[in-house]
Amino acid sequence: MNTRKIGIVIGVLAALSGIGIVACDDSSNAVKETPIPLNDAGMPVTPGIDSGGPQPGTDGGGPTLPDGAPSDCFMNPHTHFEIINACTDSVKITKNPTLPLLLSDGGLPPPM
Amino acid sequence: MAGAAIGLTSMLASTAEAAVACSSLAGPPIVYVENGDTQEPLMKRLGARLVSSATPIRIVYKNKRTCDLALDLYSTPPNKLVPDAILTKYIPTPTEDPTWTPLSVSPTCDPDAGGNDIGLGIGATFLSSCANLPAAPAGLAQTKGPTQSYGFIVPEASSQIALTAQEGYFAYGFTQGTGMAAPWVNQALRYSRGPTASTALTCSSAIGLKASQLKGTVPAGNTSTEILNFVATSGNPEATIGLMGTEVYDGARNLVKLLAFKGFGQRYAYFPDSTSTSFDKKNVRDGHYLPWAPTPYVTHVDAMGKATDPNVQRIIDLVLGARVDADVNGLDQVIASGLVPDCAMAVQRAFDGGDLSLYSAPESCACYFEAKVPQGSTKCTTCTTDAPCGSGKCHRGYCEVR
Repeated sequence: MNTRKIGIVIGVLAALSGIGIVACDDSSNAVKETPIPLNDAGMPVTPGIDSGGPQPGTDGGGPTLPDGAPSDCFMNPHTHFEIINACTDSVKITKNPTLPLLLSDGGLPPPM
Repeated sequence: MAGAAIGLTSMLASTAEAAVACSSLAGPPIVYVENGDTQEPLMKRLGARLVSSATPIRIVYKNKRTCDLALDLYSTPPNKLVPDAILTKYIPTPTEDPTWTPLSVSPTCDPDAGGNDIGLGIGATFLSSCANLPAAPAGLAQTKGPTQSYGFIVPEASSQIALTAQEGYFAYGFTQGTGMAAPWVNQALRYSRGPTASTALTCSSAIGLKASQLKGTVPAGNTSTEILNFVATSGNPEATIGLMGTEVYDGARNLVKLLAFKGFGQRYAYFPDSTSTSFDKKNVRDGHYLPWAPTPYVTHVDAMGKATDPNVQRIIDLVLGARVDADVNGLDQVIASGLVPDCAMAVQRAFDGGDLSLYSAPESCACYFEAKVPQGSTKCTTCTTDAPCGSGKCHRGYCEVR
């Protein structure tokens, strides 16, 4: 009996561990830098690229889609922000480069 | 590789000496066109059909920057198509050159010394982006043509596959490498177009800059072909980048790579097409890919809003799909040229870089477009009547949404 309980606990812990990995997966992508190669078919070969598949979420997104948000796309887009971040089965590529001149608030300094 | 080199040589071999006056070309009536160089593939494809049609028209055209050709037509009196450093080309009849195809180099001709009246101007971005353009004179009208997408190209040997709008801003907005947008920190290897070219206007707006603010290298001839050549043959592939119309890129995919683009506010970068190897322009049509603009068709019109030259009106109607001749399907030529017909677009914008909103064409051709592009396929139901289309409509053999 005790052995069975221990087995169940281990199983639950293993499942939770897996969930944790999935939950963190997007964040790890968000900081991944290019270059990210494509295979001969033009499809992604690293976690930095999502080969597609709709990722449905709610339509109640705000002005940004922060990492870790419950969804990363909009199923029924209406506004500009929703349209450009609508769910799609197209290849999508994660790229969040480090740009030293980017202002701390994410703004852009005047061009020089 | 040899094929690629031959292709590039062929694209560059457009400097043949003109030996004939355009106005002396025998045969079909001539329509003189000034067009963005991104629109040359359409001029050649449509022109080939028109010149050999039962009611032939000959297109004589000059590749010209969008704002320059617009100024020609907006001037009072309008400027003419004149002999200058830019070659004037024409579509030969099958009798004149039975071997010529739209993939061939077009022969050249000499405009009259006093110039020839421009029947049609075809820009490749919003004319509102053109600085110092006077108000449109009475009798001049603009028709929204197919959508032209643009992008950022790199050499085949570059490891880069995507560009964010912020990267583009820091790469092209700052002199030399002061923008610190690695690896594009060598201004000599950041190729651009002059500020009156649609490619520069639309690409710059996508990265938050004005065309006049681009810090790159404009080739001597200020042409897409030169940029393609410089990027394709760069000795420093990683640092090299250039601006390009995607239909030009589509014809040169063996020479360069087009970067996926991530606009301001976007979570991911996307190619214009659903994958890097497809031609469906899916992400242009649904708003995931942002550097694009409609192509304005500018011409003189009568009180009914129709082109004063019926041959020009025929060209416009064919391109829009409002007319299909037995031997000329303009929509097919638009699609084959890498452009997106307005009827296949699901989004719209009002100016370069402007926000997108949803769009439904009065008579959709999205299914037809998907089926017709290279490697194309569609899940839409085929039809001959509206019966199988539910709430949709049967157009061009497919059940479209409206």
